[in-house]
Amino acid sequence: MSEHQLRVDWPACTAHGLCAELLPEVVSLDEWGYPIVHEAVTGEVLAMARAAVKACPTLALRLIPAAPRPA
Amino acid sequence: MTSATTALPTAVQNEEGLPPVVSQGPALLAGIGHGPGLHAHRDRIGPAPRLGAQELVELAREVDLRGRGGAGFPSAIKLASAARRRAVVVVNASEGEPASHKDVALMTCAPHVVLDGAAAVAHALGTREVHVVVPSELPSLRLIVVRAVRERAIAGERLRVRLHDAAPRFVAGQAQAVLQLLAGRENLPVTARAPEAVSGHRGRPTLLSNAETFAHLGHLARVGAAGYAVHGTADEPGTTLLTLRGDGWDPEVREVAFGTPLTEVLAQDELTRPLLLGGYHGTWLRPGQLPGLTVSRKGIAAAGASIGAGVMLPLAQGWCPLVRTAALVDYLAGQSAGRCGPCRNGLPAMAEALQDLVHRGGPVARVEELCGLVRGRGACAHPDGTARLVASMLTRFPEEVDSHSLGTCRSGQPGMFG
Amino acid sequence: MSGGDFMNGPMLWFANRGTGVVLLLLLTLSTVLGVLSTARVSPRIWPRMLSQGLHRNVSMLAVTFLAAHVVTAVVDTFVDIRWWQAFVPFGGTYKPVWLGLGALSLDLLIAVTVTSLLRHRMSHRPWRAVHVLAYAAWGMGLLHGIQIGTDSPSAWDAALNYGCIGVVSVAVIARVGVVARSTAVAS
Repeated sequence: MSEHQLRVDWPACTAHGLCAELLPEVVSLDEWGYPIVHEAVTGEVLAMARAAVKACPTLALRLIPAAPRPA
Repeated sequence: MTSATTALPTAVQNEEGLPPVVSQGPALLAGIGHGPGLHAHRDRIGPAPRLGAQELVELAREVDLRGRGGAGFPSAIKLASAARRRAVVVVNASEGEPASHKDVALMTCAPHVVLDGAAAVAHALGTREVHVVVPSELPSLRLIVVRAVRERAIAGERLRVRLHDAAPRFVAGQAQAVLQLLAGRENLPVTARAPEAVSGHRGRPTLLSNAETFAHLGHLARVGAAGYAVHGTADEPGTTLLTLRGDGWDPEVREVAFGTPLTEVLAQDELTRPLLLGGYHGTWLRPGQLPGLTVSRKGIAAAGASIGAGVMLPLAQGWCPLVRTAALVDYLAGQSAGRCGPCRNGLPAMAEALQDLVHRGGPVARVEELCGLVRGRGACAHPDGTARLVASMLTRFPEEVDSHSLGTCRSGQPGMFG
Repeated sequence: MSGGDFMNGPMLWFANRGTGVVLLLLLTLSTVLGVLSTARVSPRIWPRMLSQGLHRNVSMLAVTFLAAHVVTAVVDTFVDIRWWQAFVPFGGTYKPVWLGLGALSLDLLIAVTVTSLLRHRMSHRPWRAVHVLAYAAWGMGLLHGIQIGTDSPSAWDAALNYGCIGVVSVAVIARVGVVARSTAVAS
């Protein structure tokens, strides 16, 4: 099972929120508009996750193939 | 042991405007009575140690040497990662933590102990490039380091040592922030693609460690594992530098062997008050927990705290730990680099929520929520450390928290409500 | 009608002017959408992906009209415009200053288009620095269009031009306002 982690480059993120729009299963927004990644990216949403990485206006997202860190 | 003490130059001051007193120690601070000069240093301990990378890594592993910058990362692993071509050595003496003075003490009173370590590491990694980061607000310290480097060059040491001046900020000492400084950019954290030991300054393997860590490495390289273990315990050999009362009226830097009971480190009355351990990103301990503790990474971790950068701050007499924490979070919020949204927004919100809690009976839930929101969502550990401080306050002092929700303070600090 | 007549006739010239007008509208729309992409409008009213998606599509359409506009200008023999004069902003014979402005605008838009196609292979800051030049390209294109026209501008043309200027100005002022507010909050 290919599991990926969505990582945010925090200094680059300016809270445009496209990632949360495209990938609500994995990303929600905090009260200031910044992404909270609350799930790992699994097979079904991988395509949308890639779209989110492409769509980010400041290229602040990366998809890392890895096992998730413990919460 | 009766110890000589040295007061640091008056330019070095803590928040109360007082220079910390540095006591002679068993290992790193053994020679402070003879001054910071190279000749006295060499007379006392002989030539600088020169080892291969493998040997140095093994020694560090044998004594489980940990970094002294606060994170406690195993030095052996860092050394092994950086032991590749074209490595760079960076000595971090920027000491951004206001309550810590040990690195400044080392660089001022025993610069060659640190520089011997840096030289040993440079030799082991097969490089001549050494960078030393000093606090920009202490030109007297810079002068001492410049002088020390010059002495070594005259004595024949062939290293390319460059000095850098760290910005007077809390986050200036963070590893990526230091690398930015070395690259000529603003001394603030950025997202790291790889650990700096793998790819750091100019993409080269970079051994970036705290000044005290280099001092330990130099000492270890010289006396070997057995010599290093003369002090300390079997489980945790060696010594560590502590800054006591760094924010108070009689700040002190003391070298202490691992395993020393806290009762021998702190005064009797200090053991009856809450203790903030580790620094401003540290954790609180209740007075009841103190007498049973020794200066031990593992023992302190078992008590739910962390030795951090060796900072010990007994709460001032008559003060409330909640009020103190709220003031610290105010400071820490102001020290955000402002580069990451969750930190830039979350820490001031946390400061406000804490002020609410402490002075107006505001909800604890909001404070907890914010701690959860800022953890792990930044380029550096500044928000995490702040959240850790606040979480420890909530864990250790639940009665005080309840009391403040009802509008009274158990420490009896007057006039803080409404 | 022979091929030569086609080249000599007014068809290409009309096509050139027509593509020019549509191009101005599309570039104006693209600029406004680009500005909207950065505004923090509630996603319930206007999904953020919609702004980005529209901006991309409108821009791509604008590029095709830009290509048509350049080709019709060069191929047409009614006015002497060589291929290279479409790209080099000096040395032209027909209204050199205003033609040159159009050429400069084209150059900038080529840079913007290429960098945007390669956005993921470059780092964000240099991409952004080039992308901001789109504003200049828009302005130059607008001025080029106003001045290079053969006849005096009709009320229609004037209304179009003022409309485009107005819409972009409003968008930019709103954007500057958002930036100022968000900087104030952050400090």
